Amino acid sequence: MGLRGTYRERTVEYKVPKNLTFPYVFGVLALITFALQIISGTILVMYYKPVITHAFDSVNYTIMKEIDFGWLFRHIHAAGANFFLAIVYLHMFTGIYYNAYKKPRELVWIVGWLIYFTLLVTALTGYLLPWGQLSYWGTVVITEIPTSLADAPILKDFFGAIGETISMWMKGGYRLEDLALGRFFGLHVILLPLLLLGLVSIHLFLVRAAGISNPEGYEIDKEKEPEKVVPFHPYVTLKEGAIAMWYLALFFFFVFFYMHHFLPPDNFEPADPLKTPPHIAPEWYLLGFYEVFRSIPSKFWGFVAFNLILLLLLLLPFLDFSPIKSARRRPLFFVMFVVFVISCMALTILGTMSPTPTNAKLGMFFTALVFLFFLSLPVISVIEWGWYKTKGGQA
Amino acid sequence: MSTGGMVKAIFFTLLTLGFFFVIWIKNPFAHKEVYEVPEEVAGIIWDPKAVSEGRELFIQTCSSCHSVRYDGLYLLSLEAKPEWKKILRTMGKPIFEEREGKLRIKGYYLPRDVYETVAFQDLENLKASFGKVPPDLSTIYLARGPGYLYQFIMDPQKVLPGTFMPKLFLPEYDKEAPEKVAKIVAYLRSVSEPPPSEKVKRTVMGAVTVGYFLLMGFVLWFYRRRLLERMGLH
Repeated sequence: MGLRGTYRERTVEYKVPKNLTFPYVFGVLALITFALQIISGTILVMYYKPVITHAFDSVNYTIMKEIDFGWLFRHIHAAGANFFLAIVYLHMFTGIYYNAYKKPRELVWIVGWLIYFTLLVTALTGYLLPWGQLSYWGTVVITEIPTSLADAPILKDFFGAIGETISMWMKGGYRLEDLALGRFFGLHVILLPLLLLGLVSIHLFLVRAAGISNPEGYEIDKEKEPEKVVPFHPYVTLKEGAIAMWYLALFFFFVFFYMHHFLPPDNFEPADPLKTPPHIAPEWYLLGFYEVFRSIPSKFWGFVAFNLILLLLLLLPFLDFSPIKSARRRPLFFVMFVVFVISCMALTILGTMSPTPTNAKLGMFFTALVFLFFLSLPVISVIEWGWYKTKGGQA
Repeated sequence: MSTGGMVKAIFFTLLTLGFFFVIWIKNPFAHKEVYEVPEEVAGIIWDPKAVSEGRELFIQTCSSCHSVRYDGLYLLSLEAKPEWKKILRTMGKPIFEEREGKLRIKGYYLPRDVYETVAFQDLENLKASFGKVPPDLSTIYLARGPGYLYQFIMDPQKVLPGTFMPKLFLPEYDKEAPEKVAKIVAYLRSVSEPPPSEKVKRTVMGAVTVGYFLLMGFVLWFYRRRLLERMGLH
């Protein structure tokens, strides 16, 4: 066979549904952004110093002023982190919309969730590295969250000890210092990227093994319905290649001309453990969870709620057991999906606002809607099983 | 695509774009304090010619308490010490500037731990006077922006009540005070931002990169179209 044979088998002879829509491109875009992060991160790690007396200057002086094109790689890495999370969210919502988590793709979803979770931890560990005020205090907020377990209605001491231990373990002591910075650095540049690389490989392998899902929600028999499939190359590769080029144009527009959001002003002040900034909030990709946490009056239940959302996201293939796939053919699911998307966006935006009583009430309302989405899935599934059976087992 | 499909596609596209616009570009819901630069001095802050004068003004009025390590400026009390120059040359890294086509050493960058060790007593003296060590101002322009810095230097108590920073410029006695403050802000801007020639290079580089990817997208799109037509797949 040789290389030529493998190429033919993997690209030209590999058939995919003809009706793949635009959102299917987000997977490839996530892969491209991951590659950009690895390349830019490799350059940055050559000049970054993970010591608290040098970290801020190594980023803002050595990388931004001394090294040729250091500024470019920092811009790429900072914008890339935001774009990566944005694309992964879009990819996840596409997967939910087309029910790409259902049989035979449950494992694809579960590995995808693991990628998402690892990515959140990677972003979190990377956020501390510039050692600016936002880096420092954002991480302080995040590492203090587990201590809210002490607010448990029962077994306060037991839960308190667990929370305290997790918090201490994350911080490496009572305060964020060199130990924490070193740990975060090690995790961010070695362990987590390797883990991501492995998980992404498994994810891609599983996607190829199970086949790409279909916007219409039925499985195509490639042998019996050859008119519904097309060769992966050149049909999909060139289409997604063109979109990837336009995506890179947008990405580099931000890199060169609009870095204001990705390099926030507050982070250009060196970390000062004695000076708490007036507004501290995590990055936008965590704000939804943060809003769930802070809008619930009990810290313990806030902690449980946002962790439960993460868990329910993982269990999606089992909550939604309807035989019918894709929101295109599931009106009840479509309505709940819209409720879910709008609630997630609203929670994120609420997270950027001041914690007023009205905002807390709104936060609780949208949190309830997010849970309603997950709880509605088994109910919708039962109803759809009825429809499915009345149609004589036709999806 | 059916009408329903089209409506759904437009709805989700607008929702996504709207969301990212709010989160990344302009968030009308989040509270943000805005500090304006008065129009009459705005030109000075962005004028490259005001930088050197601003640097001199900074040395005269600010460097008793503040350093700008990224530009090789340190506390005046240190500059007066006989061993200081040797410390800079042996422990620091030279900062170069181009003048009349020639590179010359403008100053020395000292790593933070080295600086805080050799300047320990001077910094402690400041702490004893002000309650805290006045910060190094290398990145202050990026952190606070021109409006805040201008307003703060003009009247520190008005912007940050309770601050130990004294009011050094008195417009009621010195008519040039607003201009002088604007020149200091221009200097702080020059420390944080790349020089004008570098800015032009970056803009050209950005335009070429974005243009290249846009063009490559169209090339691939049309190439695909032609290829699929030939293959009978279009």
